Amino acid sequence: MSERSGLGAVEIAVLTALDSLGAQPGHGYVKSARVLAAVEDAIGLMPGYAYQVLLDLAQWWTVPVTLVSGQGNFGSRGNDPPAGERYTEARLSTAGAVVLAAERGATAPVPVGLINGNTYAGGRRPPLRPAGLIAAIREVSRRPNVTDEDLVVIAGPPVFATGHVGIGDLAALAAGRETDLRLEADVTVSADGREVIVEHIPAGVSIDDVAINIASRARRLPAGHPGLAQVARLPIADLRDLTDRSRHRNGRIACTPDRGTPPEEVRMRLMEVDGVYTIVRAMFPRPLAAMIRDWAAAHAAEDLPASLTALEQALTTTG
Amino acid sequence: MLWGAAIVAASGTSCLLVGSGALWLRGEPVVVHDADLVIEPGEPNLRRLRAVLESMATRPGSLPAMWRMASMDVATVATSYGKIDCLLERGRLDWRRLRESATVLAMADAGVLVAATADTWDLRRRFKERGE
Repeated sequence: MSERSGLGAVEIAVLTALDSLGAQPGHGYVKSARVLAAVEDAIGLMPGYAYQVLLDLAQWWTVPVTLVSGQGNFGSRGNDPPAGERYTEARLSTAGAVVLAAERGATAPVPVGLINGNTYAGGRRPPLRPAGLIAAIREVSRRPNVTDEDLVVIAGPPVFATGHVGIGDLAALAAGRETDLRLEADVTVSADGREVIVEHIPAGVSIDDVAINIASRARRLPAGHPGLAQVARLPIADLRDLTDRSRHRNGRIACTPDRGTPPEEVRMRLMEVDGVYTIVRAMFPRPLAAMIRDWAAAHAAEDLPASLTALEQALTTTG
Repeated sequence: MLWGAAIVAASGTSCLLVGSGALWLRGEPVVVHDADLVIEPGEPNLRRLRAVLESMATRPGSLPAMWRMASMDVATVATSYGKIDCLLERGRLDWRRLRESATVLAMADAGVLVAATADTWDLRRRFKERGE
């Protein structure tokens, strides 16, 4: 993992390839296949794995700070897979260009690896809110005697790319212990009381799978156990996926309760359906405050305020 | 999470719950991530298992065929109740021993056979040592 950005070698190779092909922010996109060929030339990595990294870096629902701007079908929050590398195009995002400049030593380092975490790639380090982590680094740079407790408060809890805040024993997590974080969808009764709406599906869960899970739990159960059916079957008569990708990026599913079933009961029961909530096993390799403190100290001789400001500005820029 | 195990048991499939679900039902302070079921070997039982899994699976089409299940070590099935791991090899190797010390616990009006605490911890240790 790079000291200057916290990114892995393949991620850096992808950004470098984009830059070498002239795919900077504001410039034209290049075919993903060309990027992968450049990565293969540079580090010998087969295109299949590199393409997954390229996709991850471009998907807003995967990483809090997207480093690649994609054009074409880069996948979705549902089960629609991305198009092949010959049919998609990419270029550096503004944040990607900031990170690459830091990586090359043109600017001071940026803590993008700390922000993005690696849970999206099967690791256990959870993502953090960019503004929170940047504020914590600024604080410890300005006031080295700030307490660990204050640093953790400033950094805030893990916030996933979809905006979901991890719920769990955050003190244990911040202390460097393995912790299960629960991410939950919003489940509410509609204003007219006729439907229960599931929206803001958690990160790492397919919206389509949640709809399938809800429908599957509404099926009839083995006969002869009415008590089990009462508690295990979801009492809904109908389900509609109302996801309009332009308005509900994280999904919207409407459930009609069985006749006579109070919507509030359905709401409570929906909260138990796999995918309406998900559990992420998370752990920082060291206490969070120490990680922040050490990162700031390691780069104290460089112009961190400038690079952090550049990253902040990039996060407010589209593309 | 454990309702899936109760539904499998209610279907008449002979199985017993081990893993974190068994420990949790026996009052141990563990977090339950999935339901681990040791399946009694034998074709009629596997047929019942496959039928109930087909009714519960998020993707029924991805269930292994009967003939494959008979020789698989573990069949993992995603359901709306969470993941169910069917420990088929463990059933072939240890069913009788685990069955002897297991007891039935009630989940709603279904009875679920749950492995003894000592057996469950022992299995867990062996699985972790093997890196499974």
